[in-house]
Parts: sequence; structure tokens; C-alpha cells
Amino acid sequence: MKISYDSSRRRLGISFCLSIALAVLNCCLGADSPQPAAGADAAQSAAGGNLVPLDIKLPSPAFKGTPKEIQLSSFVEPLSDKPRPPMMVPPGLTNLAPAAKLTCSDKNATSDMLAKLTDGDKEASDTSIIFLRKGTQWVQMDFGSPCEIFAIVIWHAHNAAKVYHDVIVQAADDADFITNVHTIFNNDQGNNSGLGVGTDREYFETHEGKLINAKGIKTRYLRFYSKGSTESALNEYTELEVYGRPAK
Amino acid sequence: MKRWLTLSLLLATVVAMGLRCPRLGQRPMHNDEAVNALKFRQLWERGEYRYDPKEHHGPSLAYATLAAERLTDAPDFDHLTEARLRFVTVVFGVGLVLLLPLTADGLGRRAVAWAAVFTAVSPAMVFYSRYYIHEMLLVFFTFLMMVASWHYWRSRKIGWALLAGAAIGLMAATKETFVITLGSAGLALFLNQIWNRLLDASKPPASVPRLRPGHLAAAFAVWLAVAALLFSSFFTNASGPLDSLRTYGPWLNRAGGDSPHIHPWDFYLHRLVYFHAGKGPMWSEALILMLGIIGAGAGFVRKGLGDGNASFVRFVALYTLLLTAVYSLLAYKTPWCLLSFWHGFILLAGVGAAVLVHTVRRPFARIALTILFLAGAGQLAAQAWQASHDYSADPGNPYVYVQTAPDILNLVDQVTALAEFSPEGHRMVVKVMADEGDYWPLPWYLRRFERIGWWAEMPPDPWAPVMIVSAKFGAALDEKKTHRMVGIFALRPGVFFELYVDAGLWRDYMAKRPAKTD
Repeated sequence: MKISYDSSRRRLGISFCLSIALAVLNCCLGADSPQPAAGADAAQSAAGGNLVPLDIKLPSPAFKGTPKEIQLSSFVEPLSDKPRPPMMVPPGLTNLAPAAKLTCSDKNATSDMLAKLTDGDKEASDTSIIFLRKGTQWVQMDFGSPCEIFAIVIWHAHNAAKVYHDVIVQAADDADFITNVHTIFNNDQGNNSGLGVGTDREYFETHEGKLINAKGIKTRYLRFYSKGSTESALNEYTELEVYGRPAK
Repeated sequence: MKRWLTLSLLLATVVAMGLRCPRLGQRPMHNDEAVNALKFRQLWERGEYRYDPKEHHGPSLAYATLAAERLTDAPDFDHLTEARLRFVTVVFGVGLVLLLPLTADGLGRRAVAWAAVFTAVSPAMVFYSRYYIHEMLLVFFTFLMMVASWHYWRSRKIGWALLAGAAIGLMAATKETFVITLGSAGLALFLNQIWNRLLDASKPPASVPRLRPGHLAAAFAVWLAVAALLFSSFFTNASGPLDSLRTYGPWLNRAGGDSPHIHPWDFYLHRLVYFHAGKGPMWSEALILMLGIIGAGAGFVRKGLGDGNASFVRFVALYTLLLTAVYSLLAYKTPWCLLSFWHGFILLAGVGAAVLVHTVRRPFARIALTILFLAGAGQLAAQAWQASHDYSADPGNPYVYVQTAPDILNLVDQVTALAEFSPEGHRMVVKVMADEGDYWPLPWYLRRFERIGWWAEMPPDPWAPVMIVSAKFGAALDEKKTHRMVGIFALRPGVFFELYVDAGLWRDYMAKRPAKTD
């Protein structure tokens, strides 16, 4: 193969020029890039865990005078003034709670007291509310036979702005809550009652009660747990409603 | 002093301590207590105190606390407890009993013994003795002024005049309302002198020299010197003494109605005489009021006073009635303000009880009446115990006012527990956001956190591992699932905080924390 001298010289010249251009380009780009040594240090710091936290200056508390006394029974929170949107459920459901047998963890609560929970009186007056002892307490419903439950409404007490802690609703096939236990609602995010870590939010007590979607769960027994409120360590209950139908 | 009187005072002191000292840290810190505590922090840690003429009253509480903590070898501020701070006001509350023997020749010895009993057991006196605010100091310094002035009036010895001057200086350095006390005392003295001259033959003993203007000038100088010393923060704040005069601008506005604490005229008497809210018990100190009225009447009719001095009793009666009227007529009212005039009623109740027992001639009836009054005192002590313990934070207690809810301690425990699990510990960033800065007393409870920020509104960047946010904001900071809203907690009735925690931190905390036992 014949290679002309001129074309070889031209290729050499182009290659030389390209090499010089690449070298210059590399130098220029290198000047704008982090120094290799500094980059290595940062990587080393990150690997060794020597990073220093960004110390943000935070505002100090402003001294304040005696705050205003808020009258009891007045809501101050921006609770929604719109009615709650209706929950969509199958037709023909009834409130099963009045026919259910009620029991309770507080042995001081008599059957007459517990009957108030399903008597239809949801008013915020003292006569409508029953008190259970401090700590985690529960009220249990026995429907007599398995039922399909679609909606549960709980009124702890809406006589003042308050939030009930560690509200849990569970369903089970036996009265001791050992077999086939399902958690329908649980806002005990700290697992303070030892029934599992809840993922639901705490909520303010209102006249609308807390509406819980039970999604047609089949159960004979329901338990309603709570562990005091923002107001008191005692547990209050005004009314419980359970909408469902006998299981097929 | 007679042995029975010494014994009575000793017993009253023991009862006073017994009602005031137990479980001092139980009630959550009130907004005002926490503010006072944090103001003391500046003095304790940096030796700085600066009087604020717009709020928070005088420097005497902070300096009294400084003295108490130094004397008792207190730990650093982070480890200071509510009980330690409140013990300062307990000392002044019990001090009211210890000052009483100095009025034995004014009220009468039997009246002093009864007054000691009623001071020890009055629910209002007990409840606010356990409250880290200025009121109990004001009542103590007022009584000291009264005692010293009485002894000067009787003896004309300059030492008593100087003590009275110092007491007024301390009153001034405690609370701005000392002018009401001083004005009422001055007017009562004037009216009593008119009564003495026109309707009563009693005068100072003939052997007593005339009032010396030099003594009064010296007392006035001591008053100014003590007040200037404290308001200037021991000569480190030159504007302090002037600020102690400027303060009356804002306070007069409040007294006239520019305040959230506007209440009807019977606000105090309603709480003292008959108070019943919700399912709580019924509260009443009517026994003290009733005996006080009898004691005041005895001063005017000069009957049954025994070894008491009618002029002194009359002065106390006039002073108490004037002070009650002024405080009731002022639109601005907070329940602890009642202590100033209620202490007057307690002194008069001592006189009233002594007069009634003295008036009865039959020994059996006298013993029965004594037992009856002691039973009444016992019932007051039971109320005081209930008010200080079972109902210490309950709105059904007449002396509870914008009290912090115990539920907030659950929030504090939760945040503290998170710090123990966070790799940053108490250097974990915490952001507190509350409408109009309504987050007190949290600065006291979260004082160990080094990187904690406080906002009066939602800042542009609210994000932090732990965020405590007023429920009023409807913040919903858990919508992006980076944080979890792990609970709502009550600061006070009707005031709530949401606690948001970084999702990863919460997950780690739940995985590693020890199981809770109920």
C-alpha cells in the first residue's frame, strides 16, 4: 500500500493540533473543577462520618404576659364548618348498637351506665356522658351472631374542645379478643396501649362524632379502646353507633 | 410571749408547711411561672437581670430566687426543678405566719393565734404560696411594712421606720400594684386618725415622743435606695429606676380595660365566698369573710378585743375594705390579686374568732365555739389540700386561671424520649410554631434543647425532625409523608398543639424504645 508523504504529514499535523487543543481544554476545565485533593477530603469525611451539622440560628422564645382565659365549652380550633360528606354504604343497614350486649373493662361501670352508650342521646350534657377509669379502658359490643359492619360512629364527649388519646377499634370472633382480631381504627401511634402501632390521626371531638369506615368487616364482637383525653385521664363515652347487617 | 401563743404559732407554722410543701412540682408550670423562671435563668447563668416596664413585674422574685438557690447550692438551670422555684414563694407564704407575733399588741394575742391558723389553712393563701409568681412576696412585704410601721407608731424608734421604708422599697420592686396597697394604707391611716380624734379617745401612749420628720425622711430614703438598688439590678441597669416609673403607662391602660383580663366587680368575692363549677366540689372561704366582718366591727365598736388595740384593728379594717373596693372596681382582674386584701380579712378573722370566743362567758360554750372554729379551719385545710393536689390544674378550682393542662407533659415526655433516641440528643432541631407566640410554658420544659426555635406564625421553612405546631394553623405537615403527626396535645383548655416527627426518626424510635408498662 502506498502512502503519500504529504498525507502522512497532514495527519501528523492534525493529530498534534488536536492533542494540543485537548490539553489546553483539559487545563481550562480543570481550573473550574474542584481540586482533586479537596474532593478526596470530602469523600473521606463523608466516609468517616466527620460531617459537621449545619448550625441554624433559631429564634428565641418571646416573653409573654398572662394569656387570656378561654371559657370552657367554646371551640377555638378551625374546625370545618361544612357538614361531613356522607359515607357511601350498601342499602338497608341499621344501627346494631342498641341491640348489642355491652361490657366494659371498668368494673365500676354498671349495665345501666353502659346502656347510655346506645340510648340515642348524643347531647353534650353531663347526663349523657359516662366516665370510665383512668388508663387504657375499653367498651365491648357483642352482636350475638356475626354481622357485616360498614360504619362506626364514636362520640366520646363533645362538651369541650378535646382530643381522645389512643383510640382503637378492634373486631374479633371471640369475647376475649384472641381469635381473628382485626384492627379497624388505631391512632395510638406510640403503641401506648400495647395493641400495635397505629397509623390513624388523632382528631377533635365534635357533635358529628368520629365516623370510621369498617369496610363491611364480618365480626360478632367489637371493642372500643381509649386512654384519656387532652382534658383528663378519665375516659368519657357519650354514644356508639354501629351500622351493619347480619352476615349472610 | 406566752407559752400557749408560742405553741399555737409553732403548730400553725407546721400546718402551713405541711399544706404548702408536699408535691410542689406536681402542677404543670403556669405561663407566668415559666416566664418568671426563664427570666431568672438570665440572672442565674449570666448574672443579668433587666426590668421590663411593659410586663412581668419587679425584680424581687428573681433576686429572692437567686439568694435561695445560692444558699441551697442549687444545680445548673437545666436541672432546676419546679419544686425548687416554688419553694421560694412557700417561704414567703409561711413567713406571713412568722410575722404575726409582731402584731400581738395590735390585734391581741388570741387574735394572733387565730390569724395564724387561718393564714396557714386559707386555700387561697396555700394555693398561691405554691405558685412561682410575685403575689406572695408582695403580701409578705406589705405585712412587713404594716408591722414595722405599727411598731414605729408605738415606739418612734428609727429602726422600725427604716424597716418600714425597706419593706416599701421591696414592695415597689415586687409588683406595680404596690401603689394600690400603699394608697389604701395611707387613706386608711388618715380615716382612722379622723375616727380616733372624733369618735375615739384612744391615742398613742403619752410616753411616746412626737413623730419626727427626720425619721420619716430616713425611711423614705431607704425606700428609694432599696427600690433603686433592685430596679437598677445592683447598678448594672441605669434605666431600671426610671423604667419603674414608666411602667405605669402600660399598667394604667390595662387597669382601664385594655387587657384580656377584664372581669366583673364580684370576680374575687365569687371565688372566695361560693364557687362551684361543673362536677367539681363546692369551694368557700366564707368562714374567714364572716369572722373578718365581725373582727372589723369589733374594732369600730371597741368591744371584746381583749389585749388588742382598737385603733390598729380599725386601721386594718379600713385598709382591707378600701383595698377590696379598689381591686373589685378595677376592670383588670387576675385571681391571685385577691391575696392582698384577703390577707387583711384573715387578720380580721383572727380578731373576729377571738372576740366571739372571748364574748361567750360559759366555759363549756367557749370550748364548743373553739372546737367549732377549729373544725372550720380543718375544713378550710381540706379545701386547701384539694385545691393544691387533686384540683391543682382543674378549671373547677376557683384559683386556677389559664392553667397549663397536665396533657402538655405528655408532649414534653414524648419530645424528650425522642431526643434520647436521636443521634443528636438534645442538639436535635425542634421548631415550635404557635399563634401569637402562645407556647408558654414550653420554653421552661424544653429548656435543655440547644437548637430549639420559637415562632409566632408558620415560618417559610417549618421543617425539622420535631415540629410542635399550634392546631390553629391546620398545618397538615404530614401530607408529604416525610413526617408523622403523632398526637394532639392540650396546652390549656381550648389551646392545642400537633406534634410532627420525622418519619425515619419515629420509625427508629418505635423500633428501639423499651416497651411501655402501665
